[in-house]
Amino acid sequence: MLQLVLFNLTNGLIVGTFYVLMALGLSLIINLSNVVNFAHGNFLAIGGYLAFVLTPFIGFWGALLVSPFLTAILGFVIEKVLIRHVYTRNHIYSLLLTFGLGFILQDICRYIWGPSPLPLNIPQSMSAAVTPDLFFITWYRVFMVAVVIVAVAGLFALLRYTRVGMRIRAGTLDLETVSALGVNVPALRSLNFAVGSFLAGLAGVLAAGQLGLNPNMGDDLIMPSFIAIIVGGVGSLTGTLLGGLLIGVAAALTTVFYPSASEAVIYVIMAVVLLVRPRGLLGEEGMLS
Amino acid sequence: MTSKLTLTKRRTFLTATAAIAGAQFTGPFIIKARGETPVKIGFIDPITGSLSALAVTEVESAKWTVEQLNKKGGILGREVQLLVEDSANDTGTGVQKAHKLIERDKVDVIMGDVNSGIAYAIMGVTAEKKVFHVVPGGHTDPITGKDCKWNVFRTCNTTAMDAAAVTGELVKKFGKKWFFITPDYAYGKTLQENFVKNLKKAGGTFEGDMLPIANADFSATLIKAKAYKPDVLLNNMGGAAQLNCMKQFVQFGMAKEMALGGALYELETLRSVPKEALTGWWVFEWWWNQPNVPAVKTFVDAISPAIGNKKPTARHWMAYVSIMAIKLAAEKAKSLEAVKMAHALSDMELPPEVSLSPNKVRYRAGDHQLMSDIFVGEVQQAGAGGPDDLFKVETVVKGEDAAGSAEDTGCKINWPA
Repeated sequence: MLQLVLFNLTNGLIVGTFYVLMALGLSLIINLSNVVNFAHGNFLAIGGYLAFVLTPFIGFWGALLVSPFLTAILGFVIEKVLIRHVYTRNHIYSLLLTFGLGFILQDICRYIWGPSPLPLNIPQSMSAAVTPDLFFITWYRVFMVAVVIVAVAGLFALLRYTRVGMRIRAGTLDLETVSALGVNVPALRSLNFAVGSFLAGLAGVLAAGQLGLNPNMGDDLIMPSFIAIIVGGVGSLTGTLLGGLLIGVAAALTTVFYPSASEAVIYVIMAVVLLVRPRGLLGEEGMLS
Repeated sequence: MTSKLTLTKRRTFLTATAAIAGAQFTGPFIIKARGETPVKIGFIDPITGSLSALAVTEVESAKWTVEQLNKKGGILGREVQLLVEDSANDTGTGVQKAHKLIERDKVDVIMGDVNSGIAYAIMGVTAEKKVFHVVPGGHTDPITGKDCKWNVFRTCNTTAMDAAAVTGELVKKFGKKWFFITPDYAYGKTLQENFVKNLKKAGGTFEGDMLPIANADFSATLIKAKAYKPDVLLNNMGGAAQLNCMKQFVQFGMAKEMALGGALYELETLRSVPKEALTGWWVFEWWWNQPNVPAVKTFVDAISPAIGNKKPTARHWMAYVSIMAIKLAAEKAKSLEAVKMAHALSDMELPPEVSLSPNKVRYRAGDHQLMSDIFVGEVQQAGAGGPDDLFKVETVVKGEDAAGSAEDTGCKINWPA
């Protein structure tokens, strides 16, 4: 039993890192623009499908590099054309807009690539287990964790050490003052949305390599991202990181004892956090504090 | 300032998360008929959602079948109009669409749903409204079992039939210690119950996990399965979930230690399985490659150009048979009245060009379940028959043999006075 628990603990951390990647992009957009992007999961799906299209021409590795950038460009354009018009309106506008946008993106995927699942081929060597004992840790999963670590470190470095990052952080805390200081807020928001979309695209390629593609894949994967943010604390990227890992481990360990509740347990955690500490685990700390 | 902003964002975010409700109420897709009083068939299926691949196939076939019917005079000399509604894989939406089709669009017949839970819920509406109802592809047993209705006929198999058909093969070939991975909804529960019943009869033992229907990652459950050291891992999931479970099973090297099997597999899903993961023993409810049944080749040749030159799947067959059964029932009854149609279809043996099966096939009078043939075999890498030749039929089990008696299902049909 102990081995089973330890295996699932490790497995939960692996799954949790993936939730982190999805949730960070979402969190980034919420923090600066105050837009809850319900279409984030569909950007993830678009990233995966773009990789599917690109792989025959530039291989998996090329698609992994290019597809997130294309997703970011799409995000940038959509922010410019649609999202920016609702920043000054009641929150319900942005909710409805992104909710509808999600359906549109999903139907575009269904129209172009069909409703049936599609495989994204990864290099054969990546499918093998690292060792026979740790059979559930394939090289692809190791690679996925490594990519997430690099992406998260890169994001945190961008936010902490670059001028743009500092502006995003400042804008998260007080956008009016940042604007008054002469920062081009619309451009900052567009860039921020593009970075969030980039992370969604990257998560989409990684998810597609493991789970394959279907038009609903974003819906299936997005709820854990929302919950990671709530549990970690809205406004805190570090909290999002912690929230993602926590729900990944909780879901994996629940599978050992009560598998039917493996999905429900993350909602229970969210409810408990909201009751006991409504601002989330690290919500009070603020971004990167 | 900061805390106020954060509080506002949090409230917005929480409100937003709470507001994630997926009901979509859109207008129906209509194939227009030319007659003054068309025969209206309302078809409810989850065109969006995790079962959409199967639903889209059924709808594709239904449209094609209606077109063919209309070319040959329709039903009772009247042209047929197909009204397709999306249940969005949501029971409430499915029921709402059933009310809409019956009360507003005045359909003569209802078909649907792929999702067992929705099909079951729609039954309540059609029985209350006394509308003839065919379930092409929702498998949970009570539909033609303990909760059967006089107006409801089912074309696909029950889970009991699928489980009974494949259990013997799996026990004989691999052993009696099984681990189940099963979706936690109506279809999965009845399927596992039936497998367990058959396995216990054979003296077997089991463990298993019930997982959410759209579960994406199976690593945690597969860790448990490996620790249990079963002879067979039963993958009862459906659609993309079934595929992901299969892929991870192979990636984790478990194929060397245990067999993989299950009840229902669908060609729609099988096409997406990577070559290295094409493994396991399954049931197909219909298979396009039946060299000894001439009507099958005729059907395949006719429908393939309309479906992208692919081979038709069991879902194409289910929708085709369902609509043809509606035609046969109406023409035998010389009426579109539900009671007359239901009496007409009860125990009706389908002609070979409709059943497309090697053995005699009928909607059994005792429970209105189609006694169709069940194809048991092994998944294979594409064979000589082309890219869709992904399944090797080992044995064909007669529906009657797998289903047991109508009385055993618990069905007692109460006809209206």
